[in-house]
Formats: sequence, C-alpha cells, structure tokens
Amino acid sequence: MATQTAHAEQDVKPKSLIDYIQKDLPEHLDWWPYTLGAIPMTLFGILVGTGLLLTFYYVPSTERAYESVDQITHEIYLGWFVRGLHKTSVDLMILFLLFHVIRVFLTRAYQAPGELKWVSGSIVLFVTFAMGFTGYSLVFDNVSYWGMTVVTNMIGTLPVIGMPLLHLLRGGEDVSGVTLLRLYDLHTKLLPVLLGGLVIGHVVIVRLMGFVEVKESRHFHQFYPEHTLKMGMIAVGLLVVIVDLVMIFPPVLGPPANPQEVASDVSPPWYFSAPFMWITLLPGPLALWTLIGASGLFVVYPFLDRALVERGVPMELVNRVVATVAVAAMVALMYLDTQM
Amino acid sequence: MAIVHDDAGRRRFLSQAVMGFGMLFGIGTLGLRFVQFLIPSGKEKPLETVLIGAASKIPMGEAVSMDLGGQKLLVLKTDDGVVAFSRRCTDLGCLVSWNKEREQFICPCHQGTFDKTGRNISGPPPRPLDRFMITKRGEQLYVSIQSA
Repeated sequence: MATQTAHAEQDVKPKSLIDYIQKDLPEHLDWWPYTLGAIPMTLFGILVGTGLLLTFYYVPSTERAYESVDQITHEIYLGWFVRGLHKTSVDLMILFLLFHVIRVFLTRAYQAPGELKWVSGSIVLFVTFAMGFTGYSLVFDNVSYWGMTVVTNMIGTLPVIGMPLLHLLRGGEDVSGVTLLRLYDLHTKLLPVLLGGLVIGHVVIVRLMGFVEVKESRHFHQFYPEHTLKMGMIAVGLLVVIVDLVMIFPPVLGPPANPQEVASDVSPPWYFSAPFMWITLLPGPLALWTLIGASGLFVVYPFLDRALVERGVPMELVNRVVATVAVAAMVALMYLDTQM
Repeated sequence: MAIVHDDAGRRRFLSQAVMGFGMLFGIGTLGLRFVQFLIPSGKEKPLETVLIGAASKIPMGEAVSMDLGGQKLLVLKTDDGVVAFSRRCTDLGCLVSWNKEREQFICPCHQGTFDKTGRNISGPPPRPLDRFMITKRGEQLYVSIQSA
C-alpha cells in the first residue's frame, strides 16, 4: 500500500524543467500586480534586439562615438526609432523593476524559503543600473562625458579597492578612449551576458522555490494558458505604449563631449537623479557610505524581516512605512534635482 | 537503512586535497595575471617646468585657464601674487571655474566652492584645490607640473 502511494506521487511529480515552469500558481497570483516582473523581462528582450542593431553602427572611440550616435539618430533609416526604442525601454525597464520590487516588498513575497528569489532579484536590479550607467556613457555627449568622470571618481573614493577599481574602469589615470572602450565592452558583452543569465536564474529560482503561501488562498490559478495570456496581453500593450512614447519623444543628442568645459547641467538620467542629489547634499564619504549601507540592507532584507518577526515586530506595517518613506524621499530628491 | 560510505581513507583524502589546492592555486594565479593584464601600467610622470608667460600680462583679479599636457589649471593673480590651481575639483573631478564677482572657484557638478586661496568653503569637496608651484625668473613665470 505504502509503495503504491509513493509510486502515484512520483507520477504526478513534475519531470522536466518545462513542467516546473508550467506548474500551476496559487490563486492569489490572479491579481495583476503579480505580472509586474514579466514587463521588465519583455523590455530586456527589446533592449537586446535594439542593442544588437545599434552595435552595427556605433564606434567606440572618442573621435567617432558621438559622430556615430549622431549618424544613427539623424541619417540612418529608422535609426532614431531604434535608438528611441532602446532608450525608452531602459527607462521603462527600470521603472517597472522598481514597481516589481515595491510589489514584492509590500506583499513580503521574499519570505522563507524564498530569500534567494529576493537576493537574485536585487543583483538583477544592480546590474541593470550598471547597464544604464555604461549605456548612457557611450553617447559621449558633454553630459555623459562628465557623468563618466564623476561616477568613476566616486568609485575611486571607496576605501582600499577604490583606486585599483578606478584604474581598472578607466584604463588609466583619466577618462580617455580606453575608458570608453571598457565601458563599451562592459555594456555590450560582459554585463548583458551576466544580466541574461541572472534573469533566467531569477525566473527558475522563483519557479523552483514556489510562492509564499497566503492563508485564504486555497485554489489554483493556471499558469498556462491563463497567467501566460495575461502576461502576453500586458507585453503587447506595453509594445504599443513604447512605440507611442518613441514617436512623441524621439531621442535627442546634446552637445559633444568637451574635456575643457563642464556641461552646464550634469544631471544624470532620472533613475540616477535621486542618488545624485543625495551626494550633492551630504558630505562626500557620508553620502557614499549611506548609499552602500542602504544597498546592503536592501539585499539582506528577507533575513532582517525574519529576525524582526521573531522579536514580534509587525513587519506588514513596517514595510508599508519603509516603502512610503523610500518612494517619497526618492521623489523629493528627484524634484530637487529638477529645481537646481 | 542506508549505508553511509565514509571510509574514503586518509590517503585518498590527502591526495584529493593536495590536487584540489594545486588546481585552485593554478587557476587563482592565472586569474590574478588576467586582472593585471587589465590594470594599466602606471608610469611615473616627470616633473616639468613650463613657461606660462609674463606676470604683467595676467590681469589683476582674473584667472587664466590653461591646458598644459593634459593638466588643466587656472592661473590667478591677486594682491598676494600669482598662484596656479588645478581646475580639478577635489570632490569628484569636475572642472572648477573662477567667478570674478564672488572671488571664488565654483564647481558646477555638485556646487562645491573654494575661496581665492583654494580653500574649500562650501559644498561636498573634502580638501582644498591642488596647487602648482610657480617660479619667477625675471619677468617670466614658470609652473611645475607633472605632464603626461
């Protein structure tokens, strides 16, 4: 009798990776914010496609970089559109990654045994930021040239590893053609491969670890076709929105890099403007250390949550307050950046 | 009951440990060499003395911007004499400009300001502007810089 049950269980057990990924979902995943992770994934696909197209024309040298971006934007057939898709997709990818993080944070979906889901996801977020930085440096207009100078200098102020890392990134003392080439290689080779692997790993981990149990949830929500269709519909809607956004806000190009004169406004893209204001307002080392500390706390948050729950802290409420304060602070800093 | 095979033997364990450490050491050394490949070779730049012109040619209260072999500097003439400052802001390396009305050096990146002696007075910069030594030979001024 006992052997029979064991045999039956084995039959039901998923066998391949496909079976794992197609496992049914708990009922509560019917709620649409649970598809928010699929949006950045779709955008990553668009970014890989358009990025590949852009590498056919882009030249990573200080003499030709700006010129080649200018050529892509103004001369090549649909060049502005491809570059626009690439730019808009980055903005939206980071925006929706943030939404996804907020959703996971508020629903505390990182709880045991799914800590690895959160940790792998936070690395995806950081690598995406690194892609954003290296990407916008490649344009080599005046803002990105000075942005490159400022960010690499910031890395240089880290203790012990700072200066070696700065020399490694710049390929010398100063920002030069070697720096541009290194950022190009990071942006088009190392980081995309890393990010692709991490994204696949993140999705596989999420499916293997499963979802946090919700007390009232008893039923199932089909992964295929229900959930897949919902994600597909969102992806198609997203494509329409991106194309519209590119049409309405075609990509622009600032004045070329000028090592002799700092750009009048060195504000970075929106997703860096909050930390940018933060380092402007606080004295150097303190600003950097608080940023590093906050990033560290962010990664280990599931473990912090568990420790606090054991001490009887109402984490549901704490998370709501933390999320509200973090979003409000980010918006306030971004607003301050537009004012300066 | 499952049987646990934990009788690998001392000889086998030691041989595997030595092999393992050997492999790790080899791969580690190779990895280190690859990192060295990426790190630029830092050549010590020689100190040079460059002629910047006659002291009388520099107007009072103005800062003249120069680029000498990659070193960007501002030569400022005040009542106290002529001084040369690096334009590189000590915060994050943007270039400072001289504001004649306020008699201050201002960095546009994070609003760092320095007074006319190069002292950091507000904003994020952690230390004064770097100074270059100026020597006067007759009417001519020379500045000592490390050029590329």
